[in-house]
Amino acid sequence: MKNFFILVAMKILHLGLKIAGKNGGNFLGKIAYDWNPNIFRYFKINCPIIAVTATNGKTMTNNAIGHVFKTAEKKVISNTEGNNMETGILSTILKNCTLTGKVKADYLVFEVDEGYVPVIFKDLKLDTLVVLDFFRDQLDRNGEVESLILRINEFLKTYTGNLVLNNDDPNVARLGQANPENHNVYYFSVQKYAYATTNMKEAGEGKFCPFCNTRLEYEYYQYSHVGKFRCPNCNYGNNEIYKLATNVDLKNRTFAIDDITYQIKFNSIYNIYNFVAVVTCSQLYHINTEIIKKALSTFVLNNGRLEEIEIKGIPTIINLAKNPTGANVSLRILNEDEEEKELLFVLNDNLADGHDVSWIWDINFDTLNNVSRIITSGTRAYDIAIRIKTAGYPTNKIESYLNLHDAIERFYQNNVKKYVIANYTSLQPTRSEILKLK
Amino acid sequence: MKELKILYLYPDILELYGDFGNIQVLQYRLEKRGIRAIIVPYSIGDDAPNFNDYDLVFGGGGADQEQGILAEDLLQYKDNIKQAINNGVFFLLICGSYQLFGKYYKGVEGNIISGLEIFDYYTEALADRKKRCIGNIVIETKLNERKTKIIGFENHGGQTFDVATPFGDVLFGNGNKFGDTQEGFFMDNVIATYLHGPLLSKNPELADYIIKHCLDRKYKDNIILNPLNDEFENKCREQLLSKFLNN
Repeated sequence: MKNFFILVAMKILHLGLKIAGKNGGNFLGKIAYDWNPNIFRYFKINCPIIAVTATNGKTMTNNAIGHVFKTAEKKVISNTEGNNMETGILSTILKNCTLTGKVKADYLVFEVDEGYVPVIFKDLKLDTLVVLDFFRDQLDRNGEVESLILRINEFLKTYTGNLVLNNDDPNVARLGQANPENHNVYYFSVQKYAYATTNMKEAGEGKFCPFCNTRLEYEYYQYSHVGKFRCPNCNYGNNEIYKLATNVDLKNRTFAIDDITYQIKFNSIYNIYNFVAVVTCSQLYHINTEIIKKALSTFVLNNGRLEEIEIKGIPTIINLAKNPTGANVSLRILNEDEEEKELLFVLNDNLADGHDVSWIWDINFDTLNNVSRIITSGTRAYDIAIRIKTAGYPTNKIESYLNLHDAIERFYQNNVKKYVIANYTSLQPTRSEILKLK
Repeated sequence: MKELKILYLYPDILELYGDFGNIQVLQYRLEKRGIRAIIVPYSIGDDAPNFNDYDLVFGGGGADQEQGILAEDLLQYKDNIKQAINNGVFFLLICGSYQLFGKYYKGVEGNIISGLEIFDYYTEALADRKKRCIGNIVIETKLNERKTKIIGFENHGGQTFDVATPFGDVLFGNGNKFGDTQEGFFMDNVIATYLHGPLLSKNPELADYIIKHCLDRKYKDNIILNPLNDEFENKCREQLLSKFLNN
């Protein structure tokens, strides 16, 4: 009975928020969860629940899976705005259920914070879990990545649903062995791409075998510690690949799976991994290939995640980077572009960013390709300036402004192509300040 | 051309908190002055180094699990390391490396990782794994009798006891233990500290102190270092010191 009252109260509140023109974020979920942390059990959900978790790429992959299903004319409920903790997921369900807790949809697709998978799916039956990658991320807030992986591994010991895993990340592929009884484990991989390297170019985690502590051997690295690895001692890494992306062409933005070529709107190796996960997941639910092709060819995210816009006729690429790998991936795209360009790096150290900014030293600024000027801003504008200067980039080409408005004004004083990298709390302020110039 | 030889311990394992930046800062400040920086990495499986052959030895902090793996490896060099310290080779040790040079590290489950026992301090993890000293930190130390403030970031579960000669007094943050008044360990040619940041990136005076110490010893001279353009570093220090100390 209590749950019914919670639901009535939340419905009224939701209506109120709607009238006030507010979305509410995870507000509803927060109240309901405080009221009854077991409320997840109350919902009657008869469709598959799909969850995407990772350090990087959750929002993009989650939204792309939802987009594929919608293109297939399925009813999808999803936390597309990125509210990915228990309260965010709960809010999404509350907004979309009946008073008796029924959720009417063909699919529920959620991105889930990597720390919250065991919490949320204790009481909600998960049909498919997609795991993309694990990188060091806000160490002062999240702790070491290993403890996070161990918690998910523990959860997976009794999980028997579909498990879609990136076989090129040794921290992810290991999860496939959490439950030997689970026969629904699907590994995906991406063939070596043009800028893969034989040595690790950017900070990464996968150094030792998680099963026998032997140093892993890599045939190549795609980016960070993602690549073709193998344990020389116990042969870990040698899994049967369910979906392999081949013919990766970032210039033309295409790749192939099972000889079918997919056109996408993005040009980073890291997106290829996301989209292979999307294709794998969609095919597990028998979505027609033509529909997947059509969906991927139109899919974009206009929220500062590899967003491409024109400001006063100047091409501008904005990307979020919350951690070293996010920034390194952005710099890969920048370096793979031969044109002259300028970079704006905005670095904040607010609570949601982590107060520790030492992660910027794990960003590889060593060989910037044709970058004629760098502007830094944010609450730690000087820290990032020192980082870039120490990497060998000329000091006289770096300008630092604590004030974001000043930084962006100076940034757009010429017509050179622009790349923008901003961390978590700085992304939206940076984006809206830039859009003002449009 | 003058040169400094730096031994970089376990660069692939002790690399979690951007401590590699210290090597980059040293290299930058040496090369800007026309001094060659020879950086030699050593990790598990490499040929044994002779620590006496180097002017500076650097070790950073790593993940808890991986630290145990390398402690065993490092122990085989115990006598050689002792000798090098007595010979005046400079050691800069951050976080995990700081702990490893003490008597021991006692983990959450009571497991003991033996240290090199070169110094008398020892470290014990707090029973609650989630409780760690985390945050920005400012300490005050004396370099050549000159007081200076050192800015960094600490993130450690281990609490270090019995430090005879600390690196500095804590002005903001925790230090060797929760709410401690002292931070790190400092003895002639050894600086051991919990400060990440990376440490030398925001403390150019400390970086130059170490560089000068190493050069003076190597070339038996009193070397004057050319000043560098530290505009960003100075602005950064000014901004952060006022933010952390005026609250």
